[in-house]
Amino acid sequence: MPQELLERNTAALRKIGTLQYFLYLASLLAVLCAALPLAYLLNRATSSDADSISTVLLRAKSINVLVTTLTLTAVVTLGAVLVGVVLAWILNHVSIRNMTAWRAATVIPIAIPSYVFTYCWMTLNPGLRGFWAATLVLILSTAPFVTLATLAALRRVDWSQYEVAQTLGLNPLKTFFKITVPQIRNQVAAGALLVALYVLSDFGAVALLGVDTFTRAISNLYRGSFDRSTAAVLSLLLVAISAVIISLESRVRSDSEARRASTKIVAEIKPFHSAKLRLVSYLFLATYVSLSLALPLMLLMSRFISNQVELDFAGLTSATFNTVSAAAIGAVIAVSIALPVGVLLQQGSRLAKLADASVLVVHSLPGIVMGLALVALGSQVGWLYQTLGLLAFSYALLFMAKGVGSVRTALAKVPTNLLEISTTLGQNKVQTIRRVAIPLAAPGILSGTLLIFLAAMKELPATLMLRPTGFETLATEIWNYTSISRFSEAAPYALTLVLVAAIPTFLINRPDRSENARESS
Amino acid sequence: MKLKARLVGLSTLILASAALISGCSSSPSAEESLTIYSGRAEEYIAPFLQQFSAETGIKLDIRYGDSAALAAQLLEEGENSPADLFLSQDAGSLGAVSDFDLLQKLPSDLLTKVDAKYQSSKQDWIGVTGRVRVFAYSPERVSNLPKSVDDLTNSEWKGRIGIAPTNGSFQAFVTAMILNRGESATEQWLKGIQQNNPKLYEKNSQIVEAIDAGQLDLGLVNHYYVWEVSEELGRSIKAKIDFFAPGDIGNMVNVSGAGILKSSSKTDLAQRFIEFLLSDGIQKEVVNKTHEYSLVFPDLTPSGVPAFLEIKSPAVDLTSLSDLKRTQNLLIKVGLI
Repeated sequence: MPQELLERNTAALRKIGTLQYFLYLASLLAVLCAALPLAYLLNRATSSDADSISTVLLRAKSINVLVTTLTLTAVVTLGAVLVGVVLAWILNHVSIRNMTAWRAATVIPIAIPSYVFTYCWMTLNPGLRGFWAATLVLILSTAPFVTLATLAALRRVDWSQYEVAQTLGLNPLKTFFKITVPQIRNQVAAGALLVALYVLSDFGAVALLGVDTFTRAISNLYRGSFDRSTAAVLSLLLVAISAVIISLESRVRSDSEARRASTKIVAEIKPFHSAKLRLVSYLFLATYVSLSLALPLMLLMSRFISNQVELDFAGLTSATFNTVSAAAIGAVIAVSIALPVGVLLQQGSRLAKLADASVLVVHSLPGIVMGLALVALGSQVGWLYQTLGLLAFSYALLFMAKGVGSVRTALAKVPTNLLEISTTLGQNKVQTIRRVAIPLAAPGILSGTLLIFLAAMKELPATLMLRPTGFETLATEIWNYTSISRFSEAAPYALTLVLVAAIPTFLINRPDRSENARESS
Repeated sequence: MKLKARLVGLSTLILASAALISGCSSSPSAEESLTIYSGRAEEYIAPFLQQFSAETGIKLDIRYGDSAALAAQLLEEGENSPADLFLSQDAGSLGAVSDFDLLQKLPSDLLTKVDAKYQSSKQDWIGVTGRVRVFAYSPERVSNLPKSVDDLTNSEWKGRIGIAPTNGSFQAFVTAMILNRGESATEQWLKGIQQNNPKLYEKNSQIVEAIDAGQLDLGLVNHYYVWEVSEELGRSIKAKIDFFAPGDIGNMVNVSGAGILKSSSKTDLAQRFIEFLLSDGIQKEVVNKTHEYSLVFPDLTPSGVPAFLEIKSPAVDLTSLSDLKRTQNLLIKVGLI
């Protein structure tokens, strides 16, 4: 073998070694990150006396709380899946004007803090209370998790089969269930998982609407009796519930269906032009967008206009800048950990599976629990505590789960034969991942990053505890005013939050230019 | 006991050495500063803080948050807390921090400024302003004002009253009732309220808004919420407040207050700050601007509310408000939370 070739091969091998090493390191880091709050909770839970734990767990109310939490989670998840899939299907299949705007408008609602969203609805209908009200509000605000995941999946669906189905005379509904569902199932499941974990950890909606879930019970324990041990026990219960839900999701997911052995990744889909279908689609889109976006925005606007208060432009600008920078750094950290975990998952690594599961498990923890865990650990490292770095890191820790799912499913959709071809053509593993897998998975990875970014922008409890002293974000400013019931003064900050969220959402939802280029060539 | 004494001795030693180290490391030219954890809303307190900085040249680093959440944060931080001072909206959150021995004993010249019943029995926190439980009502729909909280259990109030049972201020009031009347009497009262199908809210302000919107006739709130909601809406609202008969437990007084962290090395500056909060000028401003009662000048009355000294609120040990476990258990038992 010529010396030169040998050297090149060794270099490549070494590179692969470094890559694997890096992937394992990142996955290990993810496991450790997720272990931090769990270790804190275990420590707190074991320091309490068995008596008070059993009083809390065994009282009749706890059963009610458990049942309410589970029912609410199930119903909201189901509803969000229905709404989200229909929205995504319409946005992908029906010929709609201003598609990009509609797509963005159906995703932006997740940028509105749950508390503000619920408050807007309650202002409109002050009698709004209880389980079904919470169900409605939560479905509206979580459907985008499913919409976004399904849209990313639909972009990768192999439409050649679809054409076959159409030729064979299957109606759209049958085609949907026979052709589309199997191909988008995994991503819909990932989106549904995010919805379920969101409902478990949500405080704003359930507190305002008076629904007793675990998160509300935990928060009451902290507020009322500063009982951190019992709160920790309840939090661990919440972790257990989320573990069950996560394992359910992984069962729904099927690996065999994930990959298409097609070389042609995206065959162009011909949108439906039927007038009736278009009308129904417009109605559905308009209803969803007005209930979940237009209505809260209009309410905020009217509050702002009806009680003219002087707008603090300097404060608004710096809060916007702070919000964007902290959330962006957090999203970048999160994705740089989620990406290697996703790649390693494709190789069936156990460590990556553990990383995936543990990151998801802690995602169901209420913000106040995560915040306090990071306070307990962070305050021991004086130079790091209450710095922008720790804040961004906590965002990464809190919301990494939102990215891991998207990255995992996006990478899984990359056809294996393309990876094989790439290897046959002499590309090493690093090059294959960089040149083939990641570009093909880009839409999924981007939407994952967006989810983390949007969630981090509106995060409140951990932000209040971990931000540098005096560092105001849009979320903390909204809280500053809503805590003393000044909604008109909070309104400009809430509106800015939605506006800032709209920009990346809009950009990511533009028709994928690379795809168009590929299709037209 | 011995162990505790030793621990206290040890921590004092650690604190002293920490103070020494931090004292040595900070350059003398550095600007003097204080770190404050404030459960008091920025809107209400920021002007006073700016005034303090302007007058003394001391820089204030302020972390705003929910009083109870900040207290929980201080408990987690323990000795490592960067905070010098804790300002709280209610006595309970201060009490929780005090229970964990994280607050310093305050000097007597500060403590004498305020009636002893509005400070910690351990003398490690002090009340700054007073907030009173009242009832808010619709003058259109309520003509017979209740004389006592007990009246609200009468059937004439069925479906007409609102409470915020998860809210700290309501729970503090129930705790006061337990201390005053005992657990079983309080349970009776709660059951009576429960039988009247009260509307349940998360926040006091929602109760006032519901009265204004005509959905509720009367609700139990703190005295300043009618003013606060009408400020927000930019108009006068269709709700008024009033007290129960003098001495009724329904007129319980809670305080917002301040404490200095043991872990702080800036005791002198922190005391100066509390002195400022209790100074004549600030106490008078509080009455005018945030509609709270002054604890230094109890004869000053915010506009539109009854005089503080007429309330004759029953004696309540504010120090005992930090642990609401018994109260919460009772509320759970009755089914209100």
